[in-house]
Amino acid sequence: MWPEVLPTFALARPSTVDEAVDLLSDDHVPYCGGTELLLAMRAGLLRPEALVDLKRVDGLGGVATAEGRVTIGAVSTHAEIATDTTIRGSLPLVAEVERGVGNARVRAQGSIGGNLCFAEPKSDVTTVLVALGASVSLRSPTGEREVTVEDFLAGAYWTVREPDELLVGVHVPVHRDRRGVYLRYQTMERPTANVALLAEPAGQVRLVVGAVGEVPVARSYQDLDDVDADDVARSVDPIPDLTGSIEYKRHITAVYVRRAVDRLRAVLGTKTQP
Amino acid sequence: MTTMHTERTVDVNVNGAHHTRTVPVRQTLAAFLRDDLGLTGTKLSCGFQVCGVCTVLVDGRPVSACTYLAVDADASTVTTVEGLAEGERLHPLQEAFVDGFALQCGFCTPGFLMMAKALLDSCPDPSREQVVEHLEGNICRCTGYEPIVDAVLAAARSARGAEAVGE
Repeated sequence: MWPEVLPTFALARPSTVDEAVDLLSDDHVPYCGGTELLLAMRAGLLRPEALVDLKRVDGLGGVATAEGRVTIGAVSTHAEIATDTTIRGSLPLVAEVERGVGNARVRAQGSIGGNLCFAEPKSDVTTVLVALGASVSLRSPTGEREVTVEDFLAGAYWTVREPDELLVGVHVPVHRDRRGVYLRYQTMERPTANVALLAEPAGQVRLVVGAVGEVPVARSYQDLDDVDADDVARSVDPIPDLTGSIEYKRHITAVYVRRAVDRLRAVLGTKTQP
Repeated sequence: MTTMHTERTVDVNVNGAHHTRTVPVRQTLAAFLRDDLGLTGTKLSCGFQVCGVCTVLVDGRPVSACTYLAVDADASTVTTVEGLAEGERLHPLQEAFVDGFALQCGFCTPGFLMMAKALLDSCPDPSREQVVEHLEGNICRCTGYEPIVDAVLAAARSARGAEAVGE
């Protein structure tokens, strides 16, 4: 019956980051929106002894700007980030991507920290954050370290976060003259393939392909003309599943890389006009 | 030291009525509403936040009650489909769903109504595209989506009309 579906666990509600970090262990896991954790628990994939609820912890929410980068608190929901005025002004691509995550209920509940820590391969958020060169701050009982999102994501549903570490914030560098596009192909709740493509004012290009493989894959080019969609499609390592075979996902990757190049070219063209 | 609890007391306002109950922390909001409060208008289907059938509003935000802990609704206001009508008077969304034949078996309807209410509460004059986008996380397996989208737009029009005549 429904009340019995979630396994038994205990709930802790710390009010400070230090208290929360002290509680974390292999069996005591961070809990926020529950949009992925509770589903995994219901499916019997995870069975933690305790959930450490972060929603009442001071200082884990909000958006702040300092030293050329925007810091997003770990418990900020997708909906909050999508509508935040700082994000919309300084990181419009992040706002656009967050606006399309999952569905309106997931956006109202799910947090950016949870999204990153769960390391779902089919994530919109990780692809754009890797493209933007974002990093995360991890707090442990012995201190704090910063890791790029690219290095943070170690594999499917696997990050370099230690069990006693808490992701407290996401830092995204702001470059006002950078232009970027994000495209995805999606038939169900999550993207089959997604592509983020950014152009620096000096002409360099950063391409990230996500959702097809275990983790987003980043590449850099000197010029937009150097992007070879077929080469990118050959280099990704797709996971075959109900959304398609390896061959199909390589095909989709090439199509969406080509479309991203065209879209970015159009964006840049518009920008250079007087 | 922060203590661990396997049960907690929740103090929650559901459709205008206050309830204080002690519940297991693993109890979902859907189970709390249906089994503890007898509010069976909220239906359950996929159990994985995909279908939208169990949508209720917590402090105005749409959530999937199937995977939302009842203890997280503590000190909150919850609105379920039972909270839409005022006595015998249906909510404009319910009127529009009836008038527009926007339901067939009706199982997904409470979720669509609550999802639509969340949209109209923050955006009283949505475009068709906005309605479609907002409802894309709700699944109907019999009527099809066109009458539902039409009904939400009709409800928005009628609510604006009622406001204009000072009702």
